[in-house]
Amino acid sequence: MKLKSKPDTEKLPVPPPTDSVAASEISLYRNVLKIKKEHDLEELGISFWDAQTTIQWSFNADQYFHAASTMKLAVLLGVFREIDRGELALNSPVHVRNRFTSIVNQEPFMLDLGRDADPDVYGHLGKTLTVKELAYWMITKSSNLATNLLVDVIGIETIQFALDELDIDGVRVLRGVEDQAAFAAGLNNEVTANGLLKMLRVIADGKAFSEEACKEMLEIMLEQQYRSGIPAGLPKAARVAHKTGNISTVHHDAGIVFLEGRKPYVLVILTQFGADKGRGTAVADVSRDIYNTLAGLTYE
Amino acid sequence: MSDQVSIKVVDAFDLDDELRSLLKPGEMMRDAQGRRHRLPRYFYEIPDHEAAVSIRLSPHFGLNEFVLVDLKEAPRLQQFPRYVPCAVRVLAFYLEQFRREVGASVHIAVNGAYRSPSHKLSQTATPHMWATAADVYRIGTAILKGKETIEKYNGIAEDLSDDIHVLPYGHVTGLNADDHVHIDLGYITVIPREISEDRMEVPQENRPRFAFEERRRRERRNGVANEEPEK
Repeated sequence: MKLKSKPDTEKLPVPPPTDSVAASEISLYRNVLKIKKEHDLEELGISFWDAQTTIQWSFNADQYFHAASTMKLAVLLGVFREIDRGELALNSPVHVRNRFTSIVNQEPFMLDLGRDADPDVYGHLGKTLTVKELAYWMITKSSNLATNLLVDVIGIETIQFALDELDIDGVRVLRGVEDQAAFAAGLNNEVTANGLLKMLRVIADGKAFSEEACKEMLEIMLEQQYRSGIPAGLPKAARVAHKTGNISTVHHDAGIVFLEGRKPYVLVILTQFGADKGRGTAVADVSRDIYNTLAGLTYE
Repeated sequence: MSDQVSIKVVDAFDLDDELRSLLKPGEMMRDAQGRRHRLPRYFYEIPDHEAAVSIRLSPHFGLNEFVLVDLKEAPRLQQFPRYVPCAVRVLAFYLEQFRREVGASVHIAVNGAYRSPSHKLSQTATPHMWATAADVYRIGTAILKGKETIEKYNGIAEDLSDDIHVLPYGHVTGLNADDHVHIDLGYITVIPREISEDRMEVPQENRPRFAFEERRRRERRNGVANEEPEK
């Protein structure tokens, strides 16, 4: 038995023997180091788990990164916790207002409209959107306004309750988005690759509060509109339920990859680069490499 | 009001236990300065969404604009039939004058007009609980933000009447406004002329609904000069 490269379009095979896995791990490790060097990444964290082969692999997966917009997955989890408990309904109307309170000094702040150009939400200022609509825009267009509105609805502490109840560590959500006073005080949302992986696994396994809640969350995540991360390294037929995260020096993607004829795999890729560097294609390259590794695992 | 749609006045003491506990008719409530005010007792009953949309309180303001709330309002009070204090008509009258002065449409924010005492923003008494305050977030196509814009419209509102109070531009919740113009008339309670205030403050067996306004219109049309005595 040995690894054999296969074209992207082929289906992934049945679980491989152990020695093949070991060989692929070494190959993957080398490739990841190469990608890190090629893209001049300061930090790279990867974690994946394949439900088909039960392979779990990670690289620097317990290091904390600035969460950027991946924290919105935790907000989504908090929202569905409240729905599952009957405290909230998906069709509950929420007043769309660009005015929030800092967790540090209780001072009001507003989001910069220019930085979060999501007319889908801003267009409703003064009116209402439902909880489901806000969740949709928070994930699919990474709307900061939708995120802060939902954080206001459920309370920041609810998000941590949700994470604790599902035994997810490696995800710290302390505040909403663009709370500059909190940022100045050093209060930032942080994630590890393993933390996000655990979160996605409980959703993929239907164990985040209820199967219905997981189904709803997956449907929203599958509608993600930013596809330059994990999906860019996959065949076009792949469906990915995911959430990206981008700020000036980080580019992340965390998702569940569905390929025809096999069980899904869960993949988290966190990257950090210098302020003088662009975000590049590192996330897509790692995604492609992992897909190729899984596709290459075959008997001969 | 529209002739097509029926709207009735209710004495909130006649409503069921849950509604009474949420609307708190006649109860005293302290404002942020510690002054006590008695909550309204007489409400318009809005039977359904269609009625809310079709009933006009003034030429340019529909009843629905005054009852827009989100999940901060008690769930029961988001269901029809819904209730809004009768003083809402006075607010609509002043907003109509305000609209004329600014020369553009005036848009009331969600949670920006009537908020019940059970609304999560109702920490202390405010005229919103009397339906005599409105938070305007947009005038014409302009979303209200920034000191200059808000102070300009505050000035126009204050010039309308000494009865009108606005919140100055600033960032302290409850004392200032920085993303809307707050117009309020104080704690006005409207008691329809047909009501006798010696009615017991307990639910009446037949839970009457009084269609005073329809009767008044009918009488005006028919030239009836004198009111019938209350039965």
